[in-house]
Amino acid sequence: MRKFLIGCLIAFMFILESIFVELLPGDLFSNHILVPHFLIITIFFFSIYANRNAAIIYAFVFGLLVDVVYTEVLGIYFFVFPFTIYICSKIMKVLHANLLVVSVISLLGITILEMIVYEINFLIHLTSMEFIYFLQLRLVPTLILNAIFLLIAAYPYKRIFEKYAGEGKD
Amino acid sequence: MPQFFMNKRLIILLVSIIILVALIGFSLSRSKLTWPEQFIKDTTGWVQTLVSRPVHYVAGVIDNVKDLQDTYQENKELKAKIEEYGLLKAQVQGLQKDNEELQKIVDEYPSLNDKKLLKATIVSRDPNQWNELITINRGKNDGVEKDMAVITSAGLIGKVKSVSTGTSTVQLLSSEDPTNRISAYIQKDENNKKKNKKTSVFGLIEDYDKESKNLIMTWEEVPDGLEVKKGQIVSTSGLGGVFPPDLAIGKVVKVESDEYGLAKKAYIEPAADFYDIEHVLIVKRESSEGDE
Repeated sequence: MRKFLIGCLIAFMFILESIFVELLPGDLFSNHILVPHFLIITIFFFSIYANRNAAIIYAFVFGLLVDVVYTEVLGIYFFVFPFTIYICSKIMKVLHANLLVVSVISLLGITILEMIVYEINFLIHLTSMEFIYFLQLRLVPTLILNAIFLLIAAYPYKRIFEKYAGEGKD
Repeated sequence: MPQFFMNKRLIILLVSIIILVALIGFSLSRSKLTWPEQFIKDTTGWVQTLVSRPVHYVAGVIDNVKDLQDTYQENKELKAKIEEYGLLKAQVQGLQKDNEELQKIVDEYPSLNDKKLLKATIVSRDPNQWNELITINRGKNDGVEKDMAVITSAGLIGKVKSVSTGTSTVQLLSSEDPTNRISAYIQKDENNKKKNKKTSVFGLIEDYDKESKNLIMTWEEVPDGLEVKKGQIVSTSGLGGVFPPDLAIGKVVKVESDEYGLAKKAYIEPAADFYDIEHVLIVKRESSEGDE
């Protein structure tokens, strides 16, 4: 039952990203691009506080879903999601799993993800944006948006996933 | 032992990069969605509708309350507009008559002009915003086909990129995809009519400038060509054979020569808002039904 709920939570985040972009007033987009990365944040918290291997499987599944449903270029998120989760959880092995550290590392994860996706899109000519503009227009506003999301969601996520992991052990 | 593990990871990484490249290559070269993709899109589309409808409803109510505050101001503006409307109506009637007569002369050749509009609602929007895509709740079953134009009441917003059974994906004009080109023309300025006998300027909408949020249109410069000025209206020309003519695209903001001085470049402010979209219209072509 718990497992099912976690799946639902992640699926909801997947839908929420799209709704968020739809509903945000257009003025906010006037001179920058805000990209919600709620999905990867959720999976990352799951990987830290609950189960890393399951998290990587979630990352594969939802990466593929993002590719098919949203971007229509197969492979990019399918590859980048699990890769980011893996790298970040490797970094977390060295560090102390404190809520602040986890939040900062998840922002770092988003940076890695955005960079890789930018490079791939640049290579396949999906974007012609220059790197400087990418940083200014896209990366910095995105990080701020996701930092705000982390402020709201980090603590509840920790509670939920720790509870889930605790139940799994019993 | 650690050496061995490092190797294993390296191999996994390499294999997944190969798969990545293969998948990207595959998805860039195909012209139609494969059936598993269509199935996934339709299913998620259905789930997304379940969630997004109530959310949109609530957002709509909040917007309505906000609108109430501006009602007085809007009412004033609308009244001013209604006065212009009577004048326009008379003009339109005259034009319609002219048009009918002219149509008879050209003997009803199949034109892209015969169009039918199909209403659709947005199901989801790509949150990653690289390739600006939205999903709408109409698909093959409703007669949607690839490359149909999609408009809002304000103007053109994009074209249908791919179709599955119950949903279809629209690529907005604001995507930077190089294949996203539209043949357009700049309408003659009314004051300019007498001085210049040249017809309108025809060109291609080739790019989108993310920084200024403007579309970029280019055309080859002709010696005694029409001078394009700020504020002129741009619409689709119908020359590409894909879009019907005379769908509004936007207004010229500034004009400049390109790097080599051979072509002109105009920045166009889009007429439609690419962000606050909820309902769209798909322009169905009558003539395309005859083709199949």
